[in-house]
Amino acid sequence: MGPWGFVFLAYGIVWSCLLLYLFSLKRRQRKAAAELLQLRSTSRGTD
Amino acid sequence: MRETDQKQGRGRTILGALALLSILVGLAWGLILAPPDAYQGEVQRIMYLHIPTILIAYLSFFIVFVASCLYLWKRERRDDILAYSAAEIGILFTGLTIIEGSIWGKPTWGVWWTWDARLTLTAILFLIFTGYMILRSLIEDENRGAICGAVLGIIGFLDIPLIHMSVYWWRTLHQPPSILRPDKLPWENVHPSMLLALSINFLAFLLLYFYLLALRFRVGEMQDEVKKLKLYGGQ
Amino acid sequence: MELLRQAARLLWKDFLLELRRRESLVTMFFFGALLLFVFQFAFEISAERAAEMAPGLLWLAFLFTGTLGLTQLFQAERENHCLDALLLSPMDRASLYLAKVSFNLFLMLLVELVIFPLFWVLFNLTSWHLLPTLFFVAFLGTLGFCVLGTLFSAVTMRARAKELLLPLILFPLMIPVILATIRAMEIILRSGELGEGAAWLRLLLGFDVIFLTAGFLIFEWVIEA
Repeated sequence: MGPWGFVFLAYGIVWSCLLLYLFSLKRRQRKAAAELLQLRSTSRGTD
Repeated sequence: MRETDQKQGRGRTILGALALLSILVGLAWGLILAPPDAYQGEVQRIMYLHIPTILIAYLSFFIVFVASCLYLWKRERRDDILAYSAAEIGILFTGLTIIEGSIWGKPTWGVWWTWDARLTLTAILFLIFTGYMILRSLIEDENRGAICGAVLGIIGFLDIPLIHMSVYWWRTLHQPPSILRPDKLPWENVHPSMLLALSINFLAFLLLYFYLLALRFRVGEMQDEVKKLKLYGGQ
Repeated sequence: MELLRQAARLLWKDFLLELRRRESLVTMFFFGALLLFVFQFAFEISAERAAEMAPGLLWLAFLFTGTLGLTQLFQAERENHCLDALLLSPMDRASLYLAKVSFNLFLMLLVELVIFPLFWVLFNLTSWHLLPTLFFVAFLGTLGFCVLGTLFSAVTMRARAKELLLPLILFPLMIPVILATIRAMEIILRSGELGEGAAWLRLLLGFDVIFLTAGFLIFEWVIEA
């Protein structure tokens, strides 16, 4: 593997991991928002 | 409360956009505009990743330390959320640093791993972060988890200078001069264009880090509120 | 000081308990000795290599034996709500910390007092005159181990998988102690005197002082959690 191979390997791994992490955060945020919406609406309903 | 959430969300988006912009500029400088190193060739470009990520890993640990101290002092939930958010992102950046260091090492030194001071220290940092995350996940009570995590965060941070000293002494006292690795950071005697590429990339990673941290913090706040609502209903 | 008197009283209680039941001490002794046998089967330690491998092997044995002691450290307090009773009393929490550090230190030093000569006998080492200096280095290292170990034994006390969690957290933090004691002991065994090893001992001493102070201050929050 030539020098550029190593460079792209490193850059590739780093940026894909960061992107994956960002997606996982976004997914967790969406899930939590959905849960909050559901919990808040049901709690209002039981007043 | 909804308005501050929206304002924070907008702030995060702006931060994210700035991060993306500087990342693209950084990539352009790092991969194209900066010249290759005289000795290391193109492989040196990995340093534009490696140096920012290791610095940010240490920054993250520092934030864990400060948040831990604040939590033990004031016992406010948000300090604990900040602590484990910084730990989670810190472990990510530390892991990336190790991978980058290893990939850089193969063409440079011929091996995927070596027990030199810097790589060893990064591995130790990774182990301490891992210990923190596993500790948090294995303690069920939330308050106890926060306190125990804070203790580890503080002790771990206090230990880092001692770990550095001992690992550096260990490596320098045992290395025969003929294979002494150059321990100077690559920014001594360096082409100004490379220094610029390094600075831009560092700024890019820094902005990205704070964006991720802000987002992780927000997720933590929301998960906290979900837990509270499930426990106490509509109070 | 009142603090020291409370610590002494708690320490005495642990002594008596140990004297009567002898669980920790006996297990630690035999485990340490067993490890020496395992090392021989694993490494085939020849006469020439014994001296250079001694510090590392000894410290491996001490680390694992010490961890055994640490996981048992708060066992007595956890039974019969003894810990709750202690916390309800107006006792200074730091005295419990001092007592536990001292107790684990005492157990480990007793084990080391036996393991050192046992190693010398099993692997045919002749440098018996170096043992006091080596033991002094081991003492400083063991103190560092007990200081942080006690704190994290309390931290992991109520966590799941605490026997696995404790070494996982503790060992990376112990790296300065591990490096310093083993390197210093190597220098002593190689040259017959401390010499350059003094720098390592200063590091050890610094570690002990810093974390004894930190543990002293932080322990009360941990134990009340």
